[in-house]
Amino acid sequence: MSSRRSRSSRQSGGSRITDEQIADLVSKLQLLIPESHTRRSNKVSASKVLQETCNYIRSLHREVEDLSDRLSVLLESTESDSDQAAIIRSLLM
Amino acid sequence: MRNPSSLKQEFLKKWIKGLQICSATKKKMSIMERRKAIKVSADIAMASTRKSTTYWSHALMANASKDDTNKIIIENILGNDDDNSKRIIFKKASMGISMSQKRIVRSKKIVRNSCKISRRARKISPSTIAKKLVKKRTQVLKSLVPGGEYMDDASLIKETLDYIISLRVQVDVMRHLANNASHEINDPKTSS
Repeated sequence: MSSRRSRSSRQSGGSRITDEQIADLVSKLQLLIPESHTRRSNKVSASKVLQETCNYIRSLHREVEDLSDRLSVLLESTESDSDQAAIIRSLLM
Repeated sequence: MRNPSSLKQEFLKKWIKGLQICSATKKKMSIMERRKAIKVSADIAMASTRKSTTYWSHALMANASKDDTNKIIIENILGNDDDNSKRIIFKKASMGISMSQKRIVRSKKIVRNSCKISRRARKISPSTIAKKLVKKRTQVLKSLVPGGEYMDDASLIKETLDYIISLRVQVDVMRHLANNASHEINDPKTSS
């Protein structure tokens, strides 16, 4: 731990954030990412978490685009979007 | 953390508002236009649920407001809130981002020059490789999160956390809508 801290003080860029803060944030990130298989929580590397995060965000983006495509086809078939939207809203709430 | 279902409801209301505006301004849309309208309304609705508390929401709105047609949606969705937040977003779209871009270009040049000098002195060690990997992945993350290029590492991670939660809300609501809409069309009886 101490060696990591000394390394961060040598870093350029002027960010006065400690490694502890970053580790805390990385662990929170880990909780959000869907990873079902068991993981030894202490030994997860930051780069792995970052990679999983990037993949997850990309898959979410892709899903939004797919859903937009689907919805553009579905909503086209009705006369007025607002009517159907109101019906669907009542279904969802 | 905010209650996810209240986030979903807020997102849904704003998204439907945006869609209504789009269909009001253009009666007959091609499928591509409709798809774009849906996605843009969803993005603007998602960003406006966070309003001024996060950087990515500002960057997203600023990008969207570059297109004139989207400005009307943004104005209306933010209509209930005070005018200050609207003004900030439109200002940032024109000014803030271009200024940060100049800063980034300058700092990249400095880093490149300093790397050339110190390359011979540096030894390759596993920690260096790990650091390089983290740097590389951080760069990718910066390109994915809106406005990410202009943030430092810790803020980037904070923004990522928030962004992922909001993206999830967006995907959940859209998925619900798509499933229900397809059920509606296949089975026109409304279940009460």
